[in-house]
Amino acid sequence: MKFVPGPDKDTPEPVHIFRLNEREEALLLAMLRLYPVLETSHHRISRDPKAGASAEQRLLEESMGQLRAAHRRKVEALFHNPQRFFKDALGERHLVLTAAQLEWLLQVLNDIRVGNWVRLGCPDLEKPAAMNMARASARALQAMHICGEFQLALLEAVK
Amino acid sequence: MPETSAPITVPDTEKKEKPTSKSRPDRGYLVICWNDPVNLMDYVTHVFQIVFGWAKAKAEKHMLQVHNNGKSLLVRETFEKAEHYVHQLQGYGLHATMEKEE
Repeated sequence: MKFVPGPDKDTPEPVHIFRLNEREEALLLAMLRLYPVLETSHHRISRDPKAGASAEQRLLEESMGQLRAAHRRKVEALFHNPQRFFKDALGERHLVLTAAQLEWLLQVLNDIRVGNWVRLGCPDLEKPAAMNMARASARALQAMHICGEFQLALLEAVK
Repeated sequence: MPETSAPITVPDTEKKEKPTSKSRPDRGYLVICWNDPVNLMDYVTHVFQIVFGWAKAKAEKHMLQVHNNGKSLLVRETFEKAEHYVHQLQGYGLHATMEKEE
């Protein structure tokens, strides 16, 4: 998936356009179907052990649950939108995102990436030898990598 | 810490009272971002820009602090604002917490 710099940034509601092939479209949709992956209990308001049972901790988990539910609805809407990807005259596929859509898509992809990392036992990705390969799921590693690639492609638009 | 408090705008208050030690908000809560090996560096920089409205250079500076030092103190704020920022940062999947300043 590649960002297509264009004059559409000057429109009343600036949009970001990405060109992607059929395989990338299928991969992106397959990744989005995994959402959400990260558990709300993963979030911690503070490193203070006493904060674990605090009202602030409960509020954070509640807030993250609501955010995920809202994102889930947006992902569902994307699946049911026949216009989500359009083909130009040359038959190339394009994904058009407003700034707000780009932000929630980044959050969704990162949830899948971080969530799979947590499922793998939070391995040090810079030291592959430290990973417990016996527990590592190839599917989770693949999802992390693919989501990271899509995130980097989206971030090209906001650089 | 001017460099971290600069982008924060304090809402206007209707009463123009001279601040006293009692009325001054307690900005004794630190928002800290902790390093993890999973969040992409470009992504972390982007999140700091969006959440705090920072310029890219400042966002990158804090991202590199997180990466090289294991953590970065992002802002010193009131309880409510610190909590708000932590919710936003965690919504993006960053490992951020609020800690009472010693």
